Amino acid sequence: MEYLLHVLILICIYAVLTVSLDLLAGHMGILSVAHAAFYGLGAYTSALTAVYLGVPFLGGILVGMGIAALVSFVVSLPSIRLHDDYFIIATFGFQIILFSIFNNWIDLTRGPLGIPGIPEPVIFGWTIRSHRDFLILATIFAVFAHLIVGCIVRSPFGRVLRAIREDEVFAQALGKNTLRFKVTSFMVSAALAASAGSLYAHYITYIDPTSFTVMESILVISMVIIGGAGRLWGPLIGAAVLVTLPEILRFVGLPSSIAANIRQIFYGALLVIIMIVRPRGLVGRYGFGE
Amino acid sequence: MQILANALVSAAGYLLVGVGFSLIYTSTRFFHFAHGIVLTAGAYVTFILKVWSGFPLSISIFGGIIASTLLGIGMEWNIYRPLRRRNASPTILLLASLGIYAALQALISLTFGSGTKTFRSGVVPTGLLITGIRVTGPQIAIIVISGACCLVVWLLLRYIRVGKMIRAVACDPDLAEVFGLNRDYIIRVVFLIGSALAGIAGVLLTYDADMTPMMGFRVLLMGMVAVIIGGIGEIPGIALGALLLGLAQHLTAWWFSSRWQDAIVFVILILFLLVRPQGFLGKPLRKTAI
Amino acid sequence: METFRCDGLCKSFGGVRALADVSLQFPLSGITAVIGPNGAGKTTLLNVLTGFLRSDAGRCFLADREITHLSPHRIARLGVARTFQDLRLILQVSVLDNVLLARPYQRGENLIAALLRFGLADEEARNREEAMRLLRLFGLEDMANELAAELSYGQQKLLTLACGLATEARILLLDEPVAGVHPSIASRILDLLRQLPGNEKIVIFIEHDIATVRQIADLVVVMDEGRIIAQGPPHDVLERPEIMEVYLA
Repeated sequence: MEYLLHVLILICIYAVLTVSLDLLAGHMGILSVAHAAFYGLGAYTSALTAVYLGVPFLGGILVGMGIAALVSFVVSLPSIRLHDDYFIIATFGFQIILFSIFNNWIDLTRGPLGIPGIPEPVIFGWTIRSHRDFLILATIFAVFAHLIVGCIVRSPFGRVLRAIREDEVFAQALGKNTLRFKVTSFMVSAALAASAGSLYAHYITYIDPTSFTVMESILVISMVIIGGAGRLWGPLIGAAVLVTLPEILRFVGLPSSIAANIRQIFYGALLVIIMIVRPRGLVGRYGFGE
Repeated sequence: MQILANALVSAAGYLLVGVGFSLIYTSTRFFHFAHGIVLTAGAYVTFILKVWSGFPLSISIFGGIIASTLLGIGMEWNIYRPLRRRNASPTILLLASLGIYAALQALISLTFGSGTKTFRSGVVPTGLLITGIRVTGPQIAIIVISGACCLVVWLLLRYIRVGKMIRAVACDPDLAEVFGLNRDYIIRVVFLIGSALAGIAGVLLTYDADMTPMMGFRVLLMGMVAVIIGGIGEIPGIALGALLLGLAQHLTAWWFSSRWQDAIVFVILILFLLVRPQGFLGKPLRKTAI
Repeated sequence: METFRCDGLCKSFGGVRALADVSLQFPLSGITAVIGPNGAGKTTLLNVLTGFLRSDAGRCFLADREITHLSPHRIARLGVARTFQDLRLILQVSVLDNVLLARPYQRGENLIAALLRFGLADEEARNREEAMRLLRLFGLEDMANELAAELSYGQQKLLTLACGLATEARILLLDEPVAGVHPSIASRILDLLRQLPGNEKIVIFIEHDIATVRQIADLVVVMDEGRIIAQGPPHDVLERPEIMEVYLA
């Protein structure tokens, strides 16, 4: 039972990650490989503020989201003007730079040793200790993230995003400041990813840089694409599938590292197959320019 | 100076990978990330042949390079070509190549473990001391072979018929088809050359510094940055770019710490993308045509 | 009083001079046609005026405000709408969504407003009404919920015009509005264009076909090799033999 709760909590965390990435990739058509970096930014901010400054849970999340929004603003403002594929390379760059900071700024982050002892979340006197309580918290987060992205996507703002996805020049000719839309979406996406990071940090109570690598970004991208980009619950499906798979393998007795590798083989192969057969994924609406 | 020598060694590796990557990009117009795993595969196949099967070193190396070449061509034939037939966008091709990379890298990790391996036998060479600079045999080999290969490729592109055909397709694929050039054939040739170069790089680098499943990715990213800052399609530019990166990395290691080596490369990349996206010698990128 | 003019515009691509010292004052009413052979620089002029291309030299003005190096969306917001030679639309969304996209001053396009949703429903309803009115005007109301990709070429051209009108721009710059469409649709488009000056709109269109120009233009501007070689009412300009030669040469 505990194990099932653990899997569900992870699904919720990845649900936040995938739906926020989908805002960029599925609704605006811009792929970013830096998502894990913002995930890590939120995790580290929460961890550091909680462990060293005693900042309460909600405060840490807000600070994390704020920092992620700021960093994503600084990062995207100059680079989002770049042609699509070059922007992807730029996000690779930011991902590696941020990972380098997590891994090498030892004075701040303790580098590869990570940060242990992250306290349990306390919200207005409610201490979240059990897995069941954490699942409630995680579900609230996931629902919130989906509400926010859903609102954005269904609004005129979302209409402009879909226009940018297909023909940015046309959108500009209609008077839309496409740069504003792109940067704003990037910031929202980064802030939500950071909130997932905070949740993760307080759940596992220990974080280290290996959870926030480029491969993690690629995993989240795969979840979005396999589930289906551009539809609100598509990424959730992808998250559910790819989170449960290694857990099932682990349950059956395979050691962690083998399970992780098998999952990677699985989603790598599935990504290729989906690109060949159905780029929209299982239930998605957007096929990346098919 | 020692730093210059070390920089040359690193640059040589990036150059080999970068030239292959650039050739493939100019002919197919997408970023073939799986190029990284082609490199890694060459190293590991050499390992299988020598350490597991007991073949002599030269045969093993030859086998490794052949394996890389076949793997690269296999990817083109079985995955990229069918995708191109369906008019897949560059983003779809990029995602497919990420999928290929992820799946194969995990496969290698699964089979060999994530630790370092080597196919050298005997003691790690301490190297010769030439005019105060310490450099090992393998390192000299890397520089010389890399330089020679790139010179050969450059000559090929300029003077040999196939090379000119490659340049024609790179310049204007539709026009080239009008003139009767078979684009698929040229692309296969390009994958052959590029993957062979990657295989050579994989073997050489392992000879110097051992292999890990992730080695290809790192070298690929460096090679990719060298290509972008040097100018896509311009071999002298790529050489310049690779040298700049090698110098930047080793100077950073010397002045600050080797921890920031990778980050500095991407800081340079981002600066170039913002200020001079065409690189040293490249042609200016075309923005969306109106 | 609005003026829409440019002064000394120059633009070269490599060695080719697309615009060579173009100075033009567009009339504040009526329909102006810009004609000329292929490569005369008509579309280049349009792109520079609307901010999609940076001129090498020269300036543009809209109502005494310099708009020379403004970005395209800023110029569009100042009341200059345009269409494209290669029909641009959002094909993967509905016809109605395309027109709704074009509606200006949408508070719902602001992130905070989109999240808080105050008054969004009303604004959206009003925009929807106006969009449907435009679609009825163009005879596209039955296709409102179809994807724009499902429309025929002629219907898509009508849609781009509807979008242009939906922006409530005062000035409409149209790049070959009737090229490649069935004559019945072409005459429908021309009828609609004829009515626009009566509604306080300024129409400037690029065209190849002389007959079309004769039908609706009040003023004709002739370009060749990046220069303006003639301006005037159609009955005057189009009768001049040297102008006809430019076309036949």
